[in-house]
Amino acid sequence: MSVTETLLVFVVIPAAIVLVIAGLALLGGGRGGKRYRPGRSFDFAPVWFLSAPEQLAGSPATSLHELPAGSAGSRELPAGSAGSRELPAGSAGAANKELATAPAVTTKGATGGASDRW
Amino acid sequence: MTAGEEAHGVPARPEVLDGPFTTRQLLRLDEALRVADRTTGLTFSVYVGDLEEPVRAHAEKLHSQLRDPDKSVMIAVSPNQRLLEIVTGADARKRILDREAKLAALSMVAAFGGGDLAGGLISGLDQLATHAGRA
Repeated sequence: MSVTETLLVFVVIPAAIVLVIAGLALLGGGRGGKRYRPGRSFDFAPVWFLSAPEQLAGSPATSLHELPAGSAGSRELPAGSAGSRELPAGSAGAANKELATAPAVTTKGATGGASDRW
Repeated sequence: MTAGEEAHGVPARPEVLDGPFTTRQLLRLDEALRVADRTTGLTFSVYVGDLEEPVRAHAEKLHSQLRDPDKSVMIAVSPNQRLLEIVTGADARKRILDREAKLAALSMVAAFGGGDLAGGLISGLDQLATHAGRA
């Protein structure tokens, strides 16, 4: 084979293959931009997911219900009986009925569960 | 979704989309919650955010704000503090034993440690719902 042919077969073609695969890898791996990694700071507002909005006493109605809070998550979680009133300002009139009937202090039955850390 | 949509009376982009989960992850999470609720009859919820010290007490306080805390299971994840709390209500804990909750927690932190928040939550919900059995 001539020099050009040798070059073509052994250099250009593998280089092209490498570039194509690298390109596909870069394009395919772009998903999940705000990817969480342990140790990185997590600056998002606290979110509380419920499958149906009415399960939270005094909640606004959104389909994937969320409980947005400011940077201090504590605003959404006042102590004890004052709880219901602090929920997002968007609460509609319908939600207020639940506020009236929501028990001031929920009976603290024994709760179970588990804790863990990573 | 563009800024122009608000002018046409379409609801503004929900804030939750600016959070840590992509749309697809949110959909899967929503689906997992609904399926878990439907098959077990218990109320599942997921809280992702910071938890104040004492962490367990804060998680239980959140749990008590639900409408029916006795039949509720709440998964609280604090990625900044790297803590996971599963709180089961008085009735729920008879169906999901603490030991089973711990098993689910272990698999969830394994996923979280790898950076997979949504996947860990979804598989954890699935595990808890399976342990709880049918309503």
